[in-house]
Amino acid sequence: MTFSERMLKIDRRIIFLVIGLCTLLPLLYPVGLPIKISPEVRAVYDHIESLPEGAVFLLSLDFDPASKPELQPQSIALLRHAFRKHLRVIGMTLWVSGTGLADQIMTQVAKEARKESGNDYVFLGWSPGGTAVIINMGQDLYGAFPADYNGKPTKGQPVLSGVTNLRDVTYAVSLGAGNPGVEAWYVFGKDKYKFELGGGCTGVMAPGLYPLLRSGQINGLIGGLRGAAEYESLIGQKGKAVAGMDAQSATHLAIIVLVVMCNLFYLSLRKTARQQGQMGA
Amino acid sequence: MIFLRRQMPLLITLITGLVFAGQYYVPHPASEQMLTSVTKWLQIIGGFALILGVSSLFHVHAVKIRRKEAGWGYSLVLYASMVATIVVGLWANGKEAVDGTMTAFGWMYNYMMVPLQGTMFAILAFFIASAAYRSFRARSREAAVLLVAAIIVMMGRVPLGEYLIPLSGDVSQWILNVLNASVRRAILIGVSLGTVALSFKIIFGVERSYLGGGKE
Repeated sequence: MTFSERMLKIDRRIIFLVIGLCTLLPLLYPVGLPIKISPEVRAVYDHIESLPEGAVFLLSLDFDPASKPELQPQSIALLRHAFRKHLRVIGMTLWVSGTGLADQIMTQVAKEARKESGNDYVFLGWSPGGTAVIINMGQDLYGAFPADYNGKPTKGQPVLSGVTNLRDVTYAVSLGAGNPGVEAWYVFGKDKYKFELGGGCTGVMAPGLYPLLRSGQINGLIGGLRGAAEYESLIGQKGKAVAGMDAQSATHLAIIVLVVMCNLFYLSLRKTARQQGQMGA
Repeated sequence: MIFLRRQMPLLITLITGLVFAGQYYVPHPASEQMLTSVTKWLQIIGGFALILGVSSLFHVHAVKIRRKEAGWGYSLVLYASMVATIVVGLWANGKEAVDGTMTAFGWMYNYMMVPLQGTMFAILAFFIASAAYRSFRARSREAAVLLVAAIIVMMGRVPLGEYLIPLSGDVSQWILNVLNASVRRAILIGVSLGTVALSFKIIFGVERSYLGGGKE
């Protein structure tokens, strides 16, 4: 067996070890490389920045714990920004398995910003129906969510004064890890009820949402951990996303090196096989 | 009986399909009120669908355990976990915390579900790296183009990549914004046209597989 053949059949535990070290070491010894802000993340930031105090901001945390590493930092950064701008925040989720996580995020950031449930923000929780919930909220918000996550009636809460349906929402952002998520909020929400919509998603989903971004169907997009790190940099409160960027940098580089190496070995094997074929002929 | 099983669902589908396709274009208050009522039905049906799904899951795995089919041990774990979660959830009234104190349901969610789902997702990074090493090869010109594009995007999406090759960020942005967006849009338009065609087929009763294949 040649060297190239041996390298192509390398024990996958070695690859696991390389990836493990590339993740662990930068977390233990952060480098803190500068993060360039992309136009799509800046668009979400600028839009929130342009909103007047008291504007209604709806954040739909459409993910479950599997996507927590990427979407939790995005949620925290967006909520910090919204609370700093004194917006009226409506939180909710379309994913039943993400309800507890969404509640924790809302409560944690609200506590940090000294905001009060009912007055400054409300967490509506989850309601059955998937995408139908969006239409229902578009028609009658109190019909879709008669009570908030803590069981308090939504009608009469100061944070919701003047809000009857999605038409009264100034800006909505869906942080989606799949369906229902950003696309559903566009198709069933923005298209009919005419509010401005931004999106956030996991890294693997981001390329699929670029058509919505380019056509203006969403005004901005926060993609994966990188997007969260950009948003953290924009609001000047660096958190878990910025800390994780070094690990992601190292892992990406490790995968690139592995792919290049495997192709070099593959091409070398192919060249040898071709030469042997010519000699045989 | 055949009318109730066949014609009636087709009639309901035809009427509701046409009415609600048209409703979108009629902003009259009566039309909006009708939509409000129907979305409430949808939510109620969604709730029942959830119950139906859970009971069906219970049934499938109960049969598997009773017959001791291959992998019945996993079904037992699933069964026990579901029963435990439902009991604990009902006991805690669906609350993860009461007055800042974590309930048993909250404990299960935070210390079982969150780490388990996180672990499953995290393991992907290792398998993707291993799979990329084994299969991401430039076997043809098309594969080589894909390989180069993937490397540029991977470089351009992380600060280290942009630091080593400053142009990679802009090139990756261009690939995502222009090449990727246009191809994705073409796929989306195709899928959407297909969905419209399928919807018409269902509304007009050409496509009837949703009715099931039971005896007539």
